[in-house]
Amino acid sequence: MRIELQAELDALEAGFQEAGEIVLRSIRGALDALQSQDVELCDEVIAFDDEIDERYLAIEKQVELVLARQNPVASDLRLVLALLHNGLHIERMGDQCVTIAKLTKLSSHLGAQPAVVEGLADMGERCAEMVKVSLTAFADRDLEQARELHQLDDLVDRANRQVFDEVLGYVHDPEALEWGMRQITVARCFERIGDNAVDIGEQTAFLVTGEFAEFTDASHDPQPL
Amino acid sequence: METPQIDNTRIADASRGALSRDDIERREKVFSVNDLAVSYSGKVALQDVQLDVHRNTVTAFIGPSGCGKSTFIRCFNRMNDLVPGAKVEGSVLYHGADLYGDDVDPVEIRRRIGMVFQKPNPFPKSIYDNIAFGPRVLAMKGNLDERVEGALRQAALWDEVKGRLKDGALGLSGGQQQRLCIARALAVEPDVILMDEPASALDPISTTRIEDLMHELKRDYTIVIVTHNMQQAARVADMTAFFSVVVHEDGSARRGILVEYDTTAKIFTTPSDKRTEDYVTGRFG
Repeated sequence: MRIELQAELDALEAGFQEAGEIVLRSIRGALDALQSQDVELCDEVIAFDDEIDERYLAIEKQVELVLARQNPVASDLRLVLALLHNGLHIERMGDQCVTIAKLTKLSSHLGAQPAVVEGLADMGERCAEMVKVSLTAFADRDLEQARELHQLDDLVDRANRQVFDEVLGYVHDPEALEWGMRQITVARCFERIGDNAVDIGEQTAFLVTGEFAEFTDASHDPQPL
Repeated sequence: METPQIDNTRIADASRGALSRDDIERREKVFSVNDLAVSYSGKVALQDVQLDVHRNTVTAFIGPSGCGKSTFIRCFNRMNDLVPGAKVEGSVLYHGADLYGDDVDPVEIRRRIGMVFQKPNPFPKSIYDNIAFGPRVLAMKGNLDERVEGALRQAALWDEVKGRLKDGALGLSGGQQQRLCIARALAVEPDVILMDEPASALDPISTTRIEDLMHELKRDYTIVIVTHNMQQAARVADMTAFFSVVVHEDGSARRGILVEYDTTAKIFTTPSDKRTEDYVTGRFG
């Protein structure tokens, strides 16, 4: 039994789960700021990203050390590679939260449209749930749960299209349209967070089966926005 | 919309990597081992071994001490014949012919299937005479000087020794001595080179040289290596066989078995057998 390697893998995985919990807080913060149009909370979400970046860099550094010193192979190697990918997905989610907060701040003077805010809140809630599911599925090596993320992502994509359709209705109201255009980018950010959660699910599948396969393939299954 | 035709050649070139199992299995079979069992004075050391070794590949045998991997590699050039009480059952075909057939000359076998051992074992003679020894004994035709130089060049030793060929071989460093032994094996124009832990007595730099040499030599030869160093197998081998030890229920007897034989990439990323996974990840053995 390679005790030191196992201890380092355990620490690496705990670091990833912690980073996941932190990004969940960021998603919830961005969502609350959007719903309440709270500019101060937006600033907090933006500042909080440094915390996520630090966790991501710590994961990357630890992965580098484990690869250099421990030469992991087979399932140990898959775990290390999966955690390297997952760390990057978490970091990207944090970046999306920053963009959501910045756009919320930028458009706060324009007057929010309740129907769109409701649609975005729906997307945000679903994304937060997806991130939770992706973290649990990875921790439990639960392939079934990981695969369910694909279905959950369909719901987020559907909500994304609804937001887009709603904003199209603002075409004759310049102020509402400007606000709406920014919210389309916010919706896109939530949609990307959902995709990152699916990506973590795919890493779970890779870890468990040894085969890497995308749950969906955007280049072969085009979906109209 | 019609899918555009894309030339994927450059993308495919960029993803060149290890040989696939199909690539390897398409190559000629040098050895074909079936139901092999080896016993010493009636005690079974190794049994149920079945595998093929293909031309111009490096095949590694890994496994814990006592799993029979050294016993197995010695079956390929009938070295076990020299051990009193040793018995080899099953078949080892070499290019389709029975290696243990009555009409087979073990000396000719050992010329065509050379061997390099853990500890370098140069003769207490000059560098030149070490290499020239085999060709002289076998009365091989051609220019001896050229043959010696060719073998030393192939073993990546020529540049280091060309000015002192008459010096004693025992004055060389351990890594140089091991490359000299490889050159000595190459000088008699073998088909296969067997290496039984060829780098385990060497420092890391000399080890790297031997590993680089294996990559070079597999273009012209077929190489089979036993190694304790799993990372070495991962670095040099195209195919890897994992052997393990089975202990009889009452603990009275231990015998080696072949657990898994596959591409090295498969063995070190997604082995099929849990025992292999446990061994390569260090959870057993």
